[in-house]
Amino acid sequence: MKSEFAFIALPISALVAPSTFAVQYLTVDQAQHAIFPGKSLTSVPVKLAPAQRKAIEQGSGVRVLRDDQQVWRVSGGGWFIVDEVVGKHEFITYAVGLNANGSVKQIEVMDYRETYGGEIRNENWRAQFVGKTSRSPLKLDRDIKNISGATLSCRHITDGVKRLLAFYEVALKRS
Amino acid sequence: MLDSCEIRRKAGAVIQLAAYCCDAPWIALQSGIKNWQRSGSRGHLLLLEILAMKIRITLVAAISFCVSIARGDEAIFAWTYTTDLLPKGKWEFEQWMTARWEKEHGTYNVLDFREELEYGVTDNFQIALYLNHHYVNANDDVPVADPLHPKKRLRGVYETGGEDVHADHDPATPFDSYHFESVSFEAIYRLLSPYKDPIGLALYFEPAIGDQETELEWKVLLQKNWLEDRLVWALNVNYELEYEKEEGGEYERDGMFEWFTGLSYRFMRNWSGGLEFWNHHEFADATIHEHSAYFVGPTIHYGGERWWATLGFLHQLPIGSAFSQDNKEFAAHDGYIFGDEHEKYYVRLRIGFNF
Repeated sequence: MKSEFAFIALPISALVAPSTFAVQYLTVDQAQHAIFPGKSLTSVPVKLAPAQRKAIEQGSGVRVLRDDQQVWRVSGGGWFIVDEVVGKHEFITYAVGLNANGSVKQIEVMDYRETYGGEIRNENWRAQFVGKTSRSPLKLDRDIKNISGATLSCRHITDGVKRLLAFYEVALKRS
Repeated sequence: MLDSCEIRRKAGAVIQLAAYCCDAPWIALQSGIKNWQRSGSRGHLLLLEILAMKIRITLVAAISFCVSIARGDEAIFAWTYTTDLLPKGKWEFEQWMTARWEKEHGTYNVLDFREELEYGVTDNFQIALYLNHHYVNANDDVPVADPLHPKKRLRGVYETGGEDVHADHDPATPFDSYHFESVSFEAIYRLLSPYKDPIGLALYFEPAIGDQETELEWKVLLQKNWLEDRLVWALNVNYELEYEKEEGGEYERDGMFEWFTGLSYRFMRNWSGGLEFWNHHEFADATIHEHSAYFVGPTIHYGGERWWATLGFLHQLPIGSAFSQDNKEFAAHDGYIFGDEHEKYYVRLRIGFNF
């Protein structure tokens, strides 16, 4: 009986157990250092008002999931933002560094839990975002190349960056 | 704790399972009933042991595979296909287990097993090979025809029959057997991706060859996503031609038109839950509309980093319609459609892992 129970209990315990395979590639500090080496950053968290949220959604065409945004002001100009987008199974955490003029300086993937599509961490794929602004198309297969087997992740990160660029226009540009 | 005899017995069953798996394709190509086993025989008991071991091995393998296993075109539905495919050059093994039971009368229990190996030829073209086999336990489940009026049933009299019962079986006796059914090939070509296009669209073709029946199946797969792809709707429109072996070696042609649809929402990380609906139309000789049956039930899906599993339940709704005189008399019962084709309850477990 015990062995029978073990055969049932094992898969059930695996099903209900929280994911233990999450990989954190970069902490916030490491991502800040990677994008803005040698700079000092000051946390300035932003809570969006309903009108701002609506403006971001209209500007980017992407739904805003959270009103709270983790933002840091960079000494000498620029912004560092930590954001999450929906992955196939879990959220993908990534960081975007913006230049003082609101263009993308660099993006870094901090947490990625999907097996396929780890290539989104590759420098070449991330480099496609450098210099993008809120006026850029930021569309998969148009100005951002897709990665085989990770279309969902590629599209969501692309949409996420587009949303953050609209967020900059609405919430950071004049501050 | 297992004693030495128990360990030897289980080890023997594992060896038998391995031998059976190696022989399976061969068995499918052999005609006749040599792999049918009578109830209660030693062979039958051994096969049951093998089946039990097979379920255990699959479950344990699925969760204890510790190499870098990837999730590919994971099935968030138990019955309905989405347009998600394996990336180019990736492989996936999938184990299906479907239990279906309860007819109008008597006993009817079937356990369907399907082992599937999939391969991504390109990002938009996937092929797969299936092994289909099942265990059937049936007794007094179908109405008996009145010898004086063959188009009428004898009230309150039943015999053993059904789609999964061998044509040569004596209907007066219970049927209890394991049978290797067929080998299937599957090809899916995706025309539109739901992640890049307004809707996902794919075409599906599956021929199956077995000693009792040969099938050709075509499907059109549609998928639409909302809410950052967490809400998924899928629709499959299927047509199937089936050539089933009858008593005397003749083959009967049947046609099936059916559609499946499902809606699933990823309600928390790794977990999706939804509802599936199935409507099945049967055509005798692929031309005479016999019946329409309806099914609905919940589906739950877990997608992890290394493997995925989907469990679905379908209950036949008592709103079915029989159109042919034969089906009105022999298949319809209290709004349900049974006959050769359907059961009242279906449960399906699919477990997949990639390499």
